Amino acid sequence: MSYLVAFLLAIISSTLIDNVVLSRFYGICSFIGVGNKTKSSIGMGLAVTFVTVFATIICWPIYNFLLIPAEIPYMDTVVFILVIASLVQIVGYFIKKKSPSLYKTLGIYLPLITTNCAVLGVVQGNTDSGLDFGMSVANALGTSIGFFIVIFLFACIRERLEGYKVPKALKGVPIALFVAGLMAMAFLGLQGVAG
Amino acid sequence: MNILYGVLILLGLGVLLAVGIVLFSKIFYVKEDPRIDDVAKMLPGINCGACGKAGCRDLAEGLVKGEIKKVSQCKAGKKDKNYDPIIEYLSNHPDEDGTTHIPTI
Repeated sequence: MSYLVAFLLAIISSTLIDNVVLSRFYGICSFIGVGNKTKSSIGMGLAVTFVTVFATIICWPIYNFLLIPAEIPYMDTVVFILVIASLVQIVGYFIKKKSPSLYKTLGIYLPLITTNCAVLGVVQGNTDSGLDFGMSVANALGTSIGFFIVIFLFACIRERLEGYKVPKALKGVPIALFVAGLMAMAFLGLQGVAG
Repeated sequence: MNILYGVLILLGLGVLLAVGIVLFSKIFYVKEDPRIDDVAKMLPGINCGACGKAGCRDLAEGLVKGEIKKVSQCKAGKKDKNYDPIIEYLSNHPDEDGTTHIPTI
């Protein structure tokens, strides 16, 4: 029972309090790049969630049951990247088949999930801090849900912003960076909610 | 000895993942216009992005569908090596319904 509570708490804390984009500054590339349309942001969020969770589920046993017994834990980054890249490729095939329009809107950012440091950061962080399997999955789930929520909110704000008068020098990405900064400050207020 | 284990483990993982990718690419195979691949082969293939597309294949798709009217949008291409063969190829290979989208230089 207490493990379940810890599991849920880990999800909430990595979703809101330790938000991956706004307080750890991972995954900014796709956050800025795709976060201008709500539809593509949902697709990106789902793809990142899928890749992060499955990368954790695959990488945790590989690290603990293969790399550590073979005494080559320093190869972890290479192995993780290999697994993540393959997963991204598979997700790419899946999206191309099921939703060609989403495949088009995600464009170059879909293969770039491979280098989305949020994914590698989560997997690497889990093994570095020695979390057990359940906690690793909770952390992965929480982090990717956090990414999903934030990229979706960001896209909503940016869609609204298009109708407003913005000084010419700030149009597009600059004002988006302002928005991201304000969102980061707002999320700072959640720090200390759960001790 | 350790190094041997490491090499073997990484080799095994690589092969396993490669087999997985091949399987998925067969399961989720999408039928595409074969001309896109042919045109992509005639482009320089360096994926520089100077044309404003995500890569050479994306530009080839635009050329085949007639969304891009000028081959010279490919900044890295040369007239005799890339532009002329593409124009010739696209004038000889019409769509399924018989229309041709022939780009100019």
